[in-house]
Amino acid sequence: MRLDPAILARTQFAFTVSFHIIFPTMSIGLAGFLAIVEGLWLKTKDEVYLRIYRFWLSIFAMGFGIGVVTGIVLSFEFGLGFARFSQLAGPAIGPMIALEVLTSFFLEAGFLGIMLFGMHRVGKKLHFLATCMVALGTLLSASWILSANSWMQTPDGVQVKDGRLVVINWWHVVHNPSWLYRLPHMIAAAYLTASFLVAGVGAYYLLKGRHLPFARRSVLLGTTMASVLIAGQVFIGDILYGTMLKHQPSKMQAAEGFWEKQSPSPAPYYWVIVPDQKQQRNRFALGIPYLGSIWLTHSLHGRVDGLKNTPSDLQPRMAMVFYGFRVMYGIAIVMFGVASAGLWLRWKRRLFTTPWFLKVLVVMTPSGILATLSGWYLAETGRQPWVIFGLLRTADAVSPVPAKTLLSTLIAFACLYAIFLTAFLIFVRRIIRRGPEEIGAQAEASGSLKNVFRPWVMDKATLETTDGGAQ
Amino acid sequence: MSTPLFSACFAAFALMLYVLLDGFDLGVGILLLFERSEQVRDHMMDSITPTWDGNETWLIMAGVVLLAAFPIAYGILMPALYIPLIAMLMALGLRGVCFEFRSQIKSLRRRWDIAFAAGSAIAATMQGIILGALLQGIDVRDGAFAGHVSDFFTPYSLTCGVTVLAAYAVLGAGWLRYKGSEILHSFSARAIAVLIPLFALLFGLASVLSLHVQPAIFGIWQQHGILLGTLGLMMVLSALWLASAGRRHSDLSPFVAALLMVAAGVAGLSVIAYPNIVPFRVSLWDAASSRLSQIFVLVGACAVTPVVLGYSFFAYWVFRGKTPRKGWDL
Repeated sequence: MRLDPAILARTQFAFTVSFHIIFPTMSIGLAGFLAIVEGLWLKTKDEVYLRIYRFWLSIFAMGFGIGVVTGIVLSFEFGLGFARFSQLAGPAIGPMIALEVLTSFFLEAGFLGIMLFGMHRVGKKLHFLATCMVALGTLLSASWILSANSWMQTPDGVQVKDGRLVVINWWHVVHNPSWLYRLPHMIAAAYLTASFLVAGVGAYYLLKGRHLPFARRSVLLGTTMASVLIAGQVFIGDILYGTMLKHQPSKMQAAEGFWEKQSPSPAPYYWVIVPDQKQQRNRFALGIPYLGSIWLTHSLHGRVDGLKNTPSDLQPRMAMVFYGFRVMYGIAIVMFGVASAGLWLRWKRRLFTTPWFLKVLVVMTPSGILATLSGWYLAETGRQPWVIFGLLRTADAVSPVPAKTLLSTLIAFACLYAIFLTAFLIFVRRIIRRGPEEIGAQAEASGSLKNVFRPWVMDKATLETTDGGAQ
Repeated sequence: MSTPLFSACFAAFALMLYVLLDGFDLGVGILLLFERSEQVRDHMMDSITPTWDGNETWLIMAGVVLLAAFPIAYGILMPALYIPLIAMLMALGLRGVCFEFRSQIKSLRRRWDIAFAAGSAIAATMQGIILGALLQGIDVRDGAFAGHVSDFFTPYSLTCGVTVLAAYAVLGAGWLRYKGSEILHSFSARAIAVLIPLFALLFGLASVLSLHVQPAIFGIWQQHGILLGTLGLMMVLSALWLASAGRRHSDLSPFVAALLMVAAGVAGLSVIAYPNIVPFRVSLWDAASSRLSQIFVLVGACAVTPVVLGYSFFAYWVFRGKTPRKGWDL
């Protein structure tokens, strides 16, 4: 087998970025959730909220750590695997990522330590501020990185002069045509992810009959957030679909699974296809009649555009784009169903006592992560063969690194990340098995800002008591 | 046009902060290898746990400014330094997750500590090797890397790797004296007593080899002799101060001396690199991105950096004083 550096560089980037995105998705969602829960605790003084906060804080911390270290890899990987891309796109995406580091990474890093270890040192209110700052940091980070990625999807505000890219309008680069639709889509996805994580763990305890007050509150918080978010997400997704149809027709053509320029009328809505890219046809296709016309053209007999509208050398691989979309969309439909059932059961006052619903919630625990991942597969594989849509092909962007070297580092990354994931899953399982009560529920927080600037002498005093008079 | 110069200054500032800050916490990781008692290792880890993440962020800052302001250089350097960079990133990743993982299962703590120490040592060595590869010169043709990925690996770059390893260990020892309680004082003093001569030896060897592998450094000495001489003198004086401060009572002075010593080294290296961004090969101006890109970064940096420094300082201030023996309370 001949090793192709382009395929290996893409596989390596795809693998490392897929692994990475799992953790920021959880961090963005959980940071927002933690801020809400701590706020509720400060407002109601209800200890259950504090227990929920402390429980999820330990999982958040681990996920955040993995997100940070796998993210550092990415900030160098633009050039490690795709030197030509970084040289061309650097003037446009580089400054946005630089601003991400300045406005977000430092904010998160600065306040994370206080969030994790500072409760006794700074007091409740300042600690709440630290949690909010970390949550804000995750949102700013998402905003900048979505701006950079959206610029690659729908580039704007630049000119290419003598093979170099020149920025002519920053507002157009940052506020490119797809950013403002993709950003809320991603943030809602992250918050949905957190909602189902929280609800799933609560449902697990309810089924086991353990930690009941904690479990009920978790299921209530999780399903409430999920209901609000999924309704918004369907709406945002619909607008985004229209935007991408306009700016990247090839992606949406591949996502619907039709080859011919015009689909049959009425168009079915495919759920399973076996596409043959070479012959430009489906070997097998299974769908629901009429539904394609109804959903996609809002009429009974409308026709949908197929991938042959795009010249074959500019087409993305249909299978990856189609299934990325179907998995995401399928999960969204199930989420919608679960959220609706949750509202119904709540109205009937059976939210905590309906075993089948709780079992469904447990199964849905990782659903947000899966949906987010497949959504990104749709976005990224659908942009191919371009790395910057319409400007630079992925195959022309690859670094002068031998295929064998790329293969070895890919294997090394796979081994290292397998260790990370295994350890993370084992530890999360332990935390869930151990349950919330074990993590010291009582936090005696004293004072406020004054406490932070208390004189040095007091530190020495506390040190002597904790240190056994070592000073 | 001077915008690339400002961008380069900001990148150098970020790199300097990275080396000083992550230097001491990588150093603590390296020194972890030499401490047998698990309780003492816990204490060493506790001293860096609340602030390590911010320290490492300066590395991303430096890397990303390079991408934004000097994309041509970024595109040359990443493939040229592919192997040591990937090794460094993996090592940093491994040590980063250890902060959280080691606190989870007590029976496995020893293994995570070994992983943490190994990760720190490998990351430090790789950074030194990268420095060596830059100083010995990278094969550049038509704005792209034209050498082989294994070019970086020479006895010279390896010497630089070990030198940086020793420098970070010195910083770590200084930090442990400053933040650690009394149980670490003799450990830190012994580490400094061993490391200072070792570092001096390695640094001397690396300097002599530099002149051999990169004759262009002669010219730079002739041009900026006074500046480089002053920085060299500053390094020697800080090292002497450090060697003597280890025995005195102040807990802060060894750390300050170590910081000064390493800062002088980094400043000297920037003088040697100037006015190139890929040392001896590509100038700041040839590698620079469009003017508006530079301005975007610089305006952002001027507006936000003071705030960043402000709350980074605040984070250190919250965890000021000696590290509690029982760790930071959750």
